[in-house]
Amino acid sequence: MMFKIDNELYSLITLFIFLAVIPQFLSIYNVRLLSVGLLYGLAAVGFNLLYGYTGLLSFGHAMFWSAGAYGLAIGLVKLNLDPLMSILLAFTLTFTVAIVTGYLSLRHTEIYFAMLTLAFAQLIYALIIKLRDITGGDEGIYGIPRFPSDIGGYYYLIYIIVFILVILAWWIVRTPLGLGFQAVRDNPYRAEALGLDVRRVRLISFVLSGFYLSIAGMLYAPLNRAITPDIAFWTFSAIIVIMTIIGGSKNVLGAFIGGLIFIYINTQAMNLTEFWQLTLGIILALLVYLAPYGIVGIFERVLRYVRGG
Amino acid sequence: MDINLFIVQLFNALFFASILFLISSGLSLIYGIMKILNLAHGALYMVGAYITFTVVILWLGLSWYSMVIAYIASIAVVASLGIYIERILLKPLYNKPQDLQLLLTFALIFILDDIVKMIWGAQYRAFPTIPGWSLSVGEYQIPVYFIATILIALGVALLLHWFFTKTIYGKMIRAISYSLETSAILGINTDKLFALSFALGAGLAGLAGGVAVPLYTASPGMGGDAIVLSFAVIVIGGMGSILGAFVGSLIVGLSRVFMAIIYPVFEIALIYIIMAIILMFRPTGLFGREMRERR
Repeated sequence: MMFKIDNELYSLITLFIFLAVIPQFLSIYNVRLLSVGLLYGLAAVGFNLLYGYTGLLSFGHAMFWSAGAYGLAIGLVKLNLDPLMSILLAFTLTFTVAIVTGYLSLRHTEIYFAMLTLAFAQLIYALIIKLRDITGGDEGIYGIPRFPSDIGGYYYLIYIIVFILVILAWWIVRTPLGLGFQAVRDNPYRAEALGLDVRRVRLISFVLSGFYLSIAGMLYAPLNRAITPDIAFWTFSAIIVIMTIIGGSKNVLGAFIGGLIFIYINTQAMNLTEFWQLTLGIILALLVYLAPYGIVGIFERVLRYVRGG
Repeated sequence: MDINLFIVQLFNALFFASILFLISSGLSLIYGIMKILNLAHGALYMVGAYITFTVVILWLGLSWYSMVIAYIASIAVVASLGIYIERILLKPLYNKPQDLQLLLTFALIFILDDIVKMIWGAQYRAFPTIPGWSLSVGEYQIPVYFIATILIALGVALLLHWFFTKTIYGKMIRAISYSLETSAILGINTDKLFALSFALGAGLAGLAGGVAVPLYTASPGMGGDAIVLSFAVIVIGGMGSILGAFVGSLIVGLSRVFMAIIYPVFEIALIYIIMAIILMFRPTGLFGREMRERR
């Protein structure tokens, strides 16, 4: 391997070994939950390529998750295409959405970029709701086939793809391209002066990040067997931002853990009480004050303390 | 479209625009001075709706004076809620990254939604009838309540204009939105004005909820749709500009209501197309100006 194996990679590999074994001891319900956790983790890692590494806060990443999920579901259910063609359809859709919205929104940064991505995502949400013949409108699309059809088998399909893509993300941020992302994040003017095409670097990061979300969405649709327009609404975009911040946006590991943990906080809160939103809200608020650098930030502080740093 | 239908739809659109203006002027005000995008603003609007519903339907019964009392109650309750949120929750975050403020206001949506559910239950709470009588326009009806709402929104717009141009507090708030540091050096108590602005913005959201509830049923989560349309309004008009919120509300209200008649598929989509086009050519919005950097 051309890169130094660091603590982050060790932690990721350890985590993935754990994730390979643990389903053997879990009920179907929990394996399903863990599958969603893996996909949320993948989504957070993809989102973080743009947010943590390139310094752009998108408030519309739900559009990519839904481009993947709807692209695949429309192909499989509405058009009766074979799986490969459906995947191709989903990728084409994602690519088109990413290039067009990316080209237009990347004229701006910061809050204006966030608002533009939000506008495009809501535009896509509005189209999903209104184009009933293609998308099923409010009711969504049901009966999406799953292969392998049992949850246990499907978990490992998700696992393999997520594993490859997360390690790929770890690798990308260490390549010249990934370093370019970070140069643009830290100081776009200096990056420009050094000869980087800042807008192109941002666009690459945007599209790449969109593909991560799209693949997560594509894996999500068959897992759930059904999709509804909720996955395109702005609150889902907000949840993608939030799980990344919960885990820690400093690195790939943090974002991945954020996604994994979010689904557990969410489900535990739902199981414990009827008022799960209140519980979730209080946990989120506490994290803001107690762990401003995310859960990974806490681990790092503990490690530094143990080592006497 | 015959002329009577047009008039009815025009009032419909202006009513919708009035509600949007009340919500988004507060949102814009808070952003303008504090540089915080208050995601919980829709939730505050929801609380306002429930307060008015409770005062009018559960306590006093439907009448003009009970509506007025209910509006005052909505403003008071939501504005004080705003002060608590600002003083206790947001103040410790002013020197932290903006993401954390965003995360906190998002958490507040969850918290407020469930508190509302605890107090009023999860079912929808609707007014039995629209307050007041109706005017006939051909075969159609226009509720007087629409006209009253439009007048309230216009009154609020004028009051805000007076507040920002004629009173010392309004001028100080405008000074802070230009430059926080300079204002502080000149001896303006920025801390106190942050609380005042947040309370004012929250109070406007409360009033918006109160005015909207007879038409739009109160329900937990009703803030979600409202807030995202208000984002569109303040982005079109210019973030931080009250005039912008006014014009933006009209654009969003009119385009939505008339698009729903002309070509319903693009009813919502058109709003975001307008928003995207404006942002691309004029990122500060129609009436916005270059903002000071966050501190």
